[in-house]
Amino acid sequence: MEPSDEALCQRVAKRDVAAFELLVERYQGRAYRLAWSIVRDPEDARDLSQEAFIRLHESAGSFGGRSKFSTWFYRIVVNLCLDHKRKRRWWKPWAGDAADDQGESFLERQPAPVTDPVDELGREQTMKDLWAAVDRLAPRQRAAVVLQVQEELATYEIAEVLKCSEATVRVHLHRAMNALKKTMKNMEKR
Amino acid sequence: MAKHPETDLVPYLRGELPPAERERVARHLDECPDCRQDTDQLRELLGELSRSIAEPPAVNWARYRAELREKLEARRGRRAWWWQPVPLALATSLAGVLLFVAVWGVGRQVPTAGDPVAFEEAAIGRNLGLLEQYQVVERLDLLEEDLDFMSDLDGLAAGRPG
Ligand SMILES: [Zn+2]
Repeated sequence: MEPSDEALCQRVAKRDVAAFELLVERYQGRAYRLAWSIVRDPEDARDLSQEAFIRLHESAGSFGGRSKFSTWFYRIVVNLCLDHKRKRRWWKPWAGDAADDQGESFLERQPAPVTDPVDELGREQTMKDLWAAVDRLAPRQRAAVVLQVQEELATYEIAEVLKCSEATVRVHLHRAMNALKKTMKNMEKR
Repeated sequence: MAKHPETDLVPYLRGELPPAERERVARHLDECPDCRQDTDQLRELLGELSRSIAEPPAVNWARYRAELREKLEARRGRRAWWWQPVPLALATSLAGVLLFVAVWGVGRQVPTAGDPVAFEEAAIGRNLGLLEQYQVVERLDLLEEDLDFMSDLDGLAAGRPG
């Protein structure tokens, strides 16, 4: 039988190299995709997810086993990404997150295609617009949406990752969905 | 009509609500066309979102893991030459200074014999000595906290790329 993530993590705490490599192989795709969904830059996502594995390597001993390993590890990834976005906003306000502040993303700056909404191109654009709107959400709202829709985490798990109450997650999601509903209405009008 | 269960609608649609709450929301939806409309829109939106999840650019995972190994090695190397001796040296020298202060503090309270005031002073002095020793203990605790704090800083510094 394959060892569980939790068992592997305990072995990592005892400096078991093979266990670490196995956990990396299991989680590399998810960690990179999650980081990319929050920071939307492949190089940064690569760095941040690798950094998350380094943190895992250093602090595997502090995994108490009260939550699932995946939730604990996602918390490391999400924290790193939210920190990264905060820092970047501070020292490089003209790059990356500028779209957040101006309420306009790179995708939206592209001219809207004049196509039938039901045709394939129009549909692709709709999908892009919707996720571009996710990118413009406040960072924790965006993280909540990504964790729910993409990683399919339950509300209580999102609460563990974001270190807040379930009620707060519900509010984050409610606000996020309201903003996205507006985007969708505007898209339908087009 | 009860308050609109706005923040419960997403968990409701995802089937996460416990039976009693689920029942309450369902009853509200029966009575409230606004929330029903909201729920339909939400269902559509959640479906649209999960159908349109984008994939990040592809990664060569063997290279990714090789890079990770290099980063781990580099981190270990940096710790070895710069970080580890610092808290040790710092802790030793700070503990030395504090110990000196404590011993000097106790030593200062030498009683003068035969005089009741002096006797009282001596008693206070002993207490003071004890107090100072407590302070040392407390400071050593603080020192430990500082070290934790510094290792947090180390973690933060380590978190920075490059
Ligand atoms: Zn209602």
